[in-house]
Amino acid sequence: MTDYAVHEHEEFLTAADEALADPSLQSALSMLADTLGQRNKDAFAELSDSGLLRDRARAIKDATLAELDRHLETLEASVNRRGGQVHYAADGADACQTIAGIIRAAGGRHVVKSKSMTTEEIHLNRALEAEGFHVVETDFGEYILQVAGQRPSHLVAPAVHLRIPQVAKILGDDAGEQLPEDAEKLAAYARRTLRKEFARADVGISGANFAVAETGTVVLVTNEGNGRLTTSMPRVHIALLGMEKVIPQLADLPVFLKVLARAATGQKLSIYTSMITGRRQPGELDGPDEFHLVVLDNGRSRILGGPLRESLFCIRCGACLNACPIYRNIGGHAYGGVYAGPIGAVLTPLYSGLTHHPHLPHASSLCGACQAACPVKIAIPEMLVQLREQLHREPSQANRVENAIYRLWAAMLRRPRLYRLATWLATRTIGRWPGGWIRHLPGLGGWTGARDFPAPAPESFRDWWHREGQA
Amino acid sequence: MKREEFLARVRGAAAAGRAYRVHVRDDIPARVGYVGAGPNPAERLAAEMNAVGGFAQLVDSEEAARAALAELLVRYSPKSALCWQHPLLERLGLAALLETHGVEHWSHDLLAPLDQPTARAKMFAAEIGITSATWAIAETGSLLMAATGGRERTASLLPPVHVAIVERAQIVPDLFDAYAQLEAAGVENLASNVTLITGPSKTGDLELKLTTGVHGPGKWHVIIVR
Repeated sequence: MTDYAVHEHEEFLTAADEALADPSLQSALSMLADTLGQRNKDAFAELSDSGLLRDRARAIKDATLAELDRHLETLEASVNRRGGQVHYAADGADACQTIAGIIRAAGGRHVVKSKSMTTEEIHLNRALEAEGFHVVETDFGEYILQVAGQRPSHLVAPAVHLRIPQVAKILGDDAGEQLPEDAEKLAAYARRTLRKEFARADVGISGANFAVAETGTVVLVTNEGNGRLTTSMPRVHIALLGMEKVIPQLADLPVFLKVLARAATGQKLSIYTSMITGRRQPGELDGPDEFHLVVLDNGRSRILGGPLRESLFCIRCGACLNACPIYRNIGGHAYGGVYAGPIGAVLTPLYSGLTHHPHLPHASSLCGACQAACPVKIAIPEMLVQLREQLHREPSQANRVENAIYRLWAAMLRRPRLYRLATWLATRTIGRWPGGWIRHLPGLGGWTGARDFPAPAPESFRDWWHREGQA
Repeated sequence: MKREEFLARVRGAAAAGRAYRVHVRDDIPARVGYVGAGPNPAERLAAEMNAVGGFAQLVDSEEAARAALAELLVRYSPKSALCWQHPLLERLGLAALLETHGVEHWSHDLLAPLDQPTARAKMFAAEIGITSATWAIAETGSLLMAATGGRERTASLLPPVHVAIVERAQIVPDLFDAYAQLEAAGVENLASNVTLITGPSKTGDLELKLTTGVHGPGKWHVIIVR
């Protein structure tokens, strides 16, 4: 099995156009708002003071990040106390090497994985396969994508861009038999196939939704049970933790659990919430002999010290994707990175460089639906505007036409007579434009290519005011 | 990367980031988000469990619980069962009940003497898992399962059918109460694995349609002795 190309679909505009023209993708995406989006709203309506609960979650994140180094040290001490080992990884390559080293030292060969966006972020599968390990994704959606060699297109529903017949084809080609185009039967096929992998795996790799510093506990939130199998059956469990996922105490956890599943899928709790503290204890028949926690930086400390620090509050629920009118039209792959949607438009430029993704901060109408849906109220629109401003200051992104227009505009605003003359002219020329919308502006095709330009009103407000307003 | 170098970098970043802390109101009540169970916790628990696709049954006596369990053994006619060792299950006479129905009985004390591959094979082959719970949470319809020797995590995970029997004293109203219980037992004593189970195994990965039993049990029965 192969990993997807890292920079596939790098060119946002092309990828977005392709997505818009793909009828299968469009019909897959059309279900998002009615299902996940609506369930999210209904689930929060049950909590009488959900706004305050989200504020509490936000306050915990903010306070924890302010002293993240101290909480990481506490976490490490707690993991050690329970017989686990902590490893620190500065970046993706470092983390991949560390994890490969743990597997080698344990004499492992067969690796099962539960769904983890952080392992996607560091392209762990490719690294482990290059070392000769056999790696299998066990989340149903991730398994389909691994077989297909594709990238997740959604934080919690990674294969949401695929329809059932496509999945039957992907899994059927891999199995060498024809599989029915039926959700239950395809799931049963995956269960059978993956059970064999769980039975022989010697290493299980998971991510971590949270890590509790005072207890050394890694928290996994899943619906299928593959996370439980991954962390219970193999003799080695390795958890990869994005370092911003630490929370100080066990008492903080229910605050996040109450908002996470509601935001993600509209459930009160996901089916399985596992709190894993170290390796198995004496007398237990299942659970791993070894527990390793790999703490990943990979650009997070750079973000932590800067103005977009709030992006580290993200608990990866996917609610902003479901709420976003842009995401719901172009899907996740167009965003070019592992993280899609509004939060991806913030994270991808932060992680892999703004100038590599100049279109992402603009892939938003700034309507605010993402922030309204966010369980920790991250100010995503504000961050996108900040990124746009940074882009504007990047010499490599300078647009001479745009700059000239803004200079002209600024000059007019500073000269009232000139401004009045210009509006007078505009209302009497293009202001008389039939229909009120201009479909093509010479020299500004980039703008009017995808949207119409509102024609000026036939009469300026000033003129109207002079005539009517003072009476 | 060296530990000290890593933590020093985080320390510097956390300090620099304090200039960008967000403002959050400071008058949030301590119990914000507490839902509770209402006047009838057992009924609420059953209703929530049914709402997430489980089959909850309220019974009034241990006698009735045994009858309900016997009925499930007839319905699924499993060849072997993977069971917890738990006082409530002992009071119900689980071992004798399984024997009556010709179901092979596997639990910690019977599995522990076996060599590991054999014990694992028995666990994988079990067709029903029978457990109690550490706590049951009425608000969310969840079972809280703290793993210890005798309360294996796999009993509620590997078999395609999971049956749990809980009694009134095990029910807590709200998720917050369940965490208060874990804290009261001492956070340093937290079990190696504590799992909240809220329904049968599900996936929404195919066209967001709910499909049950992908990895964990597709059938989830809870008998509540009120």
